[in-house]
Amino acid sequence: MAAPSSSAQDAGLSVEATAGQELFENGCITCHGRNLQGVEDNGPSLIGVGEASVYFQVATGRMPLKQQEAQAQRKTPVYDDAEVNQLMAYIESYGSGGPGLPTESDLRDGDLAEGGELFRLNCASCHNFAGQGGALSSGKNAPTLTQATDLDMYTAMLSGPQNMPVFGDNQLSPEEKRAIINYVQTLNETADPGGLSIGRAGPVPEGLVIWVVGIVGCVAACLWVGTRS
Amino acid sequence: MPGNPPQPGSGPSDADLARMSREDLVTLGGEMDGVKVIYAEQPVEPGSAAERRAERQVAAAFTGAGLSALAFMVIFVAWPWQVETGGDPSGLAVLYTPLLGLTMGSALTLVGVGAVLWAKKLMPYEVAVQERHEGASPEIERQTTAATLVSGATSTGIARRTVVKRSLGFGGLMLGLMAVFPLGGLIKKPGNALYETPWEPGMRLLTLKGLPIRPQDMRPGSLQTVFPAVAGGARSADGVSMLIRLLPQQAADFRPREGQEDFHWNDFVAYSKICTHAGCPVSLYEQETARILCPCHQSQFVATDGARSIFGPATRSLPQLPVEVDDDGYFVAKSDYLEPIGPAFWERSS
Repeated sequence: MAAPSSSAQDAGLSVEATAGQELFENGCITCHGRNLQGVEDNGPSLIGVGEASVYFQVATGRMPLKQQEAQAQRKTPVYDDAEVNQLMAYIESYGSGGPGLPTESDLRDGDLAEGGELFRLNCASCHNFAGQGGALSSGKNAPTLTQATDLDMYTAMLSGPQNMPVFGDNQLSPEEKRAIINYVQTLNETADPGGLSIGRAGPVPEGLVIWVVGIVGCVAACLWVGTRS
Repeated sequence: MPGNPPQPGSGPSDADLARMSREDLVTLGGEMDGVKVIYAEQPVEPGSAAERRAERQVAAAFTGAGLSALAFMVIFVAWPWQVETGGDPSGLAVLYTPLLGLTMGSALTLVGVGAVLWAKKLMPYEVAVQERHEGASPEIERQTTAATLVSGATSTGIARRTVVKRSLGFGGLMLGLMAVFPLGGLIKKPGNALYETPWEPGMRLLTLKGLPIRPQDMRPGSLQTVFPAVAGGARSADGVSMLIRLLPQQAADFRPREGQEDFHWNDFVAYSKICTHAGCPVSLYEQETARILCPCHQSQFVATDGARSIFGPATRSLPQLPVEVDDDGYFVAKSDYLEPIGPAFWERSS
């Protein structure tokens, strides 16, 4: 089945890319343009962005965008895995060379301690040392990593979505990327030894809880003792 | 006081004292100090059911405290405490720390509860007043005490024996100085350390792992934390810098600071990673807006504008490290920073 289109790319598209073209023309074309060249003030060009970028944006539900805002938020994905692959194939047909998907199946195959060190140096400044995310400028934010899958993180590092810097394979080798993912997922799955995580955001919320709950409780106890005298 | 002769007529005789009960003695002692009990009350009738109930409550609290402390020690020794990283978060070991806190907390609380119950329910309640006496001692005591002190000082002959006095003064002074002298070892002359970093002309920019960096290693919109190529450089607190590759449009818009027009290399710029406000590491880099954010106090710097400060408490731009690529194709510094990195200090002129 051939979708009605004036694109010169029609000839030679694989079956998968053709299906992707139909998805693109229904869901993406408004902001990214008929030939993926982008629409000014609406969406960037997608020519040559690579499979990693398409995967990250679509599989995490960030794309298609609900509305123009400070940045795309993670939400329930609109497309299933097969449709993501079709979109990747279509966008790749306009220009390859962008970062692709990793070939390894186990993306946590890396040294945990090294991953921790690399995470604190490269990632923790924005994503928080426990991967809880944090604020950026003008309403933007670095998202929490608690929901991110291994492949989400891998493709994010490769493609540098939105305001995140790119970490190409010469900057963080595939082994180092896997070590970082191993570290983050280990953090996500590790129990809180204190029993309560309090947001895992460090000493500030912990101090707040001590002040608000602990000290108010002590004062209330003192007042109660006073009324009984 | 032992050795004082008994003063007849000033109090009870020895025979009287021997006859007095302990309560009488307490009253007598109070009277001698001008203390008078004006109200006293037993909270419970001795031997009554209320007293036994109060006793049971106090005993229960103290026993509970002891049992809690015992439980703390048993848990400390015997409870499984090792949590596997990435392991099952619902195991017994997760409860280790909370249980320690719970048992120690209840032990301390129950000791307090027992003490308060004891004081409130079993101890007698009384109100006592004490007269304040005159401030100064009688004239005769003051004169005799002063004379005794002066006579003691004179008998040492310190005023006459000049040599002893001077040598004692010398010895005392030196001993005192000896006590404070080692503190001098804590004082360090800072020298030029605040104005210099390890960067030198031709020094390579290294990653955390000590690898040099080629331009093709970094894609547009990426950031690399770099360290000077000296021993211990990866722990260098003042040399740590950010090498940023700008996006093509950002590189076209790049506006260098005056006099630093040749500090960048094509679309690469390098800035100090130390915030000019309070010295935090600024490495929240927004690649689309080319803004560098400081996580501590939300200062923002624009990488395409010489890292000019545009928001937050920082007032000075991040110092820019002049970089180029050497003959082997690796990034090197062209010189040290032109200005002191990091926050302001006392002698800093700008």
